[in-house]
Amino acid sequence: MADVDSRANGRNRGHYNNRKRRQREDDSDDRPSQIRRRVEDQQHMRLRKQLLIFAQSALKDSKEEAKEVAGFISYHFNDSEQFKQTAFDVIYQLIIEQPFKIPFLASIVLHINERKGEVAAQFITRAAVNFTTALEKGAWRDCKLHLRFLACLQPFFEGEGVFSVLDELFNRAVDLQTASSDDTLGLELVKIILLTIPYVLAQPGTDLAAKAAELLEKTDIVASAGHDVEALVNPYPGSTGEKPFEYQSMLGLLQAQLQAEASKGWELAVIPRVYWATTPDAEASSSTSTAPQKHAFPTITVPASLSQGDEPIFPAAYFSLYTKQDIETVPPTSDIASCLLRDVLVDTINVLDFNRVAAAKFLIELDNYWTPDTFVKRATQFDKVKEIAGTGSTWKPEDLALDAVFSQLFRLPTAEHKLVYYHSLITEACKLAPAAIAPSLGRAIRFIFRHLETMDIELINRFMDWFAHHLSNFEFRWKWSEWSEDILRSNLHPKKVYIMGSLDKEIRLSFAKRIRETLPPEYHHLISVSKEKDTPDFKYADDATPYATEGRQLLSLLRKKATDEEIQEVIASIQTQAAEHGVTDVLIPSTDAYITCLCFIGSKSLSHVLSNIDRSKDRLLAIGPSSEAARRQIIGSVVDYWTDHPGTAVNLVDKLLNYTILTPMSIIQWAVGDRLGTGSILAENWLYDMVGGTVRKVTNRVRQIVAARLENDLPHDQMQMLEETLVRERDAQRELFSVIDDAMNGVAQGVNDGAMEAIASGDLSQEDGMLIRVWGEKWKTAFARKAAVEETIVGESAVMEKIAARKAKLQGILVDIENGDENNGTAEPMDEIDTSGLGASLLD
Amino acid sequence: MGMIRSTVDRLDKPSSYTANKKRRQKFNRERAGGEEEKSREESPIEDKLKDATTLYVGNLSFYTTEEQIHELFAKCGEIKRLVMGLDRFQKTPCGFCFVEYYTHQDALDCMKYIGGTKLDERVIRTDLDEGFVEGRQYGRGKSGGQVRDEYRDEFDPGRGGYGRAVEDDYSERR
Repeated sequence: MADVDSRANGRNRGHYNNRKRRQREDDSDDRPSQIRRRVEDQQHMRLRKQLLIFAQSALKDSKEEAKEVAGFISYHFNDSEQFKQTAFDVIYQLIIEQPFKIPFLASIVLHINERKGEVAAQFITRAAVNFTTALEKGAWRDCKLHLRFLACLQPFFEGEGVFSVLDELFNRAVDLQTASSDDTLGLELVKIILLTIPYVLAQPGTDLAAKAAELLEKTDIVASAGHDVEALVNPYPGSTGEKPFEYQSMLGLLQAQLQAEASKGWELAVIPRVYWATTPDAEASSSTSTAPQKHAFPTITVPASLSQGDEPIFPAAYFSLYTKQDIETVPPTSDIASCLLRDVLVDTINVLDFNRVAAAKFLIELDNYWTPDTFVKRATQFDKVKEIAGTGSTWKPEDLALDAVFSQLFRLPTAEHKLVYYHSLITEACKLAPAAIAPSLGRAIRFIFRHLETMDIELINRFMDWFAHHLSNFEFRWKWSEWSEDILRSNLHPKKVYIMGSLDKEIRLSFAKRIRETLPPEYHHLISVSKEKDTPDFKYADDATPYATEGRQLLSLLRKKATDEEIQEVIASIQTQAAEHGVTDVLIPSTDAYITCLCFIGSKSLSHVLSNIDRSKDRLLAIGPSSEAARRQIIGSVVDYWTDHPGTAVNLVDKLLNYTILTPMSIIQWAVGDRLGTGSILAENWLYDMVGGTVRKVTNRVRQIVAARLENDLPHDQMQMLEETLVRERDAQRELFSVIDDAMNGVAQGVNDGAMEAIASGDLSQEDGMLIRVWGEKWKTAFARKAAVEETIVGESAVMEKIAARKAKLQGILVDIENGDENNGTAEPMDEIDTSGLGASLLD
Repeated sequence: MGMIRSTVDRLDKPSSYTANKKRRQKFNRERAGGEEEKSREESPIEDKLKDATTLYVGNLSFYTTEEQIHELFAKCGEIKRLVMGLDRFQKTPCGFCFVEYYTHQDALDCMKYIGGTKLDERVIRTDLDEGFVEGRQYGRGKSGGQVRDEYRDEFDPGRGGYGRAVEDDYSERR
């Protein structure tokens, strides 16, 4: 038992371990059978452990390790079902959770093949099944990764091997692209093909260059063309100012890079050839010379209709923070390494969201998984990199890692996970390797800051949110003095807006006094003294405010929880006075007083104000139906009261929307109508948060209605009700977007009344006028994108397609049942149902 | 194929404290009524954790406000309810709270992305919770706050200085 235990938890490998195994084989006959059975029971546990720590160190060791694991698997493979299953399961899970290791995992199977061809064959069969399952589910990332594993096994296969699948996938892509110009699945398929080719060609002796060239010639039409949908994912759409780079599609880059690589004879320098790695142990390599068994490529049937998967697919844009440096610290976009590394980094990041520490560890150790000397040593200072330029690689692993994280934080239209995941991932990386990550992060921040003018507004806000949150995890330390010149700019300049917005968000996570302490003196005036007050002033305390007496009366009544009648008396008095002063909508001043009182009383905390709102909700609910203008006054009063803490105002408005005291349209019309003025308010990040949050609430609801509509087995009347609700709510949503778009058109073109008057009267400088137009443009782009994205999910044709697809799937299952267990014959019946399902779907 | 165990640990599992609490309750239940032993599979508490939408949040500073908590935790989804933990006697914040989301997924994401990060410059702890019930907002320590603040012999300015019991010891000795 002792030796088993020590191996189970130890990391000893190589000769020591081999010797032990041999020894045990010799001894085994002498052992009591009971103990031997217990040892066998534990073999699958040992295998799991071995596989989980496999390939964590540098390439050279990994080859030895692979041989050892292969030996272990070959020897015990047929011992128990559990052992076999563990081998399949853990390798399967490693492929989709730790894609960096795919070439390494494949090398295990290649080694197994040397020993036991029939065991290796079972791994191939399993890999093919895994790929097909992912294909049927529309799990495109898994598909890509399983296919990559097969690609790394290419030396096994007779003939064209993996290329047979690639050809079939390409045909499907062409069909999809021909059927619709909006198709994105076809683009995804081509991406998968292009990302598989290099892993096939990297295997020595496969002799498939001609085949690859042929396929690349075909993919060129799809990959190199521009696609309308790409306008939705461009991180730098702005037309005024300096762009860090023009829009680059990942697909277009891949195509060009592969063609370049083909002309260089498929060098593919970065992909590790684990199985062929030279080791000091020459004996080991000579023993492999007995020609390993070749296998037929497993039959893979691509289903007749391909599923889009759970989430809508958008093409990927290539985003990089480290372009335009005098020294290349990341692979240039002309090099296939840029896309290969980015792809696997992004997958690792997005798959491992359930353990950010593990994800961060991969990012920091990414150099372990590529050809040695692909990168400079970890944590090499940027200045040092300059010195060694010309003598070797200048690629900094931490730059690549951060580049990949930011590409996901800044992915449009939406990131795969909640943005806070990427925040926490960066925080974790900084904690694990501060000396390596922090300087690169600083360069990243400066780069993004430099190009704020042309950045998409959604991304400016994400950047602000991340920055403030990040600093809150690191004592709010930042070298603010380097931006001291920028605080002299107009309040409407994107850089100034960014600084102000970030400080506001820092304060929300902390408090004003603390944040002021972290700033150089020239910044102090940016945080006004009034921001330090926990309770903002009550405007009716000042007699100069109209209705001051009534405001104070109302306050004391509300404080002592007076009856409705008493309160109504004061409100009536405000309204009578207002009428005397010629106010047409007397509900406006009385609402202002009422809401301001609620805010003041509730200023102690969020729960205080919420319980006050709850108590007054009947009165508040009655405001909107009597006067739309008074309803919008509620927003105005909240925002004015919390002017120094706009985050609180946005929060409250959101709660009032939940109570249906406010409506989405009232918020939108207040924001881009009542309060628009010159349009300068569009530079306020809290307004973007408020409008964006409101829109999100509406779109989520419509999506939920669609999801409910797609439920199976709904009774007819429920279905009809949902259908009607959907039509109504979707129209309301479109109306919302169109109100925003109209308003933004005016601002972007410089023809909104407020701005024109202000410029004419000299209240607004020409320069600020131009900046406002840029903000209008940014808002317009962002909300047009949101509208377009929603159409792809809840628009009429999108819903019809989903209903048809669901029907086809149901029918497919029925057909399968009728045909017994045979999995064929699904192709034709499905096509029939596809067409018949379309027209009738909305009626049934 | 069914769910296969992940190759790295998941951060959205309940802590051993909560898991043990479940076990303790189950144990007590079984001991109380032996006949219930047949329904071993799933206790109601385990069901609650399976789709928990509430989180216990610990190691807050006494001075951290609802607004600050809201600002951070809303990054994982809209907050349905926020209950501040209070000193049983003084009714002032005593360093913990309950955050309730609308969905289980938001609560899990919070475990993954916010647990173990800083709020108000302190590393906070999150744990899945079976759901808030009236009364749980109060500290259970002898002097009204959380038990952990009774015996702490390190000075923590964010949580009332030294532990209260320790503090008492000092004053008695002097």
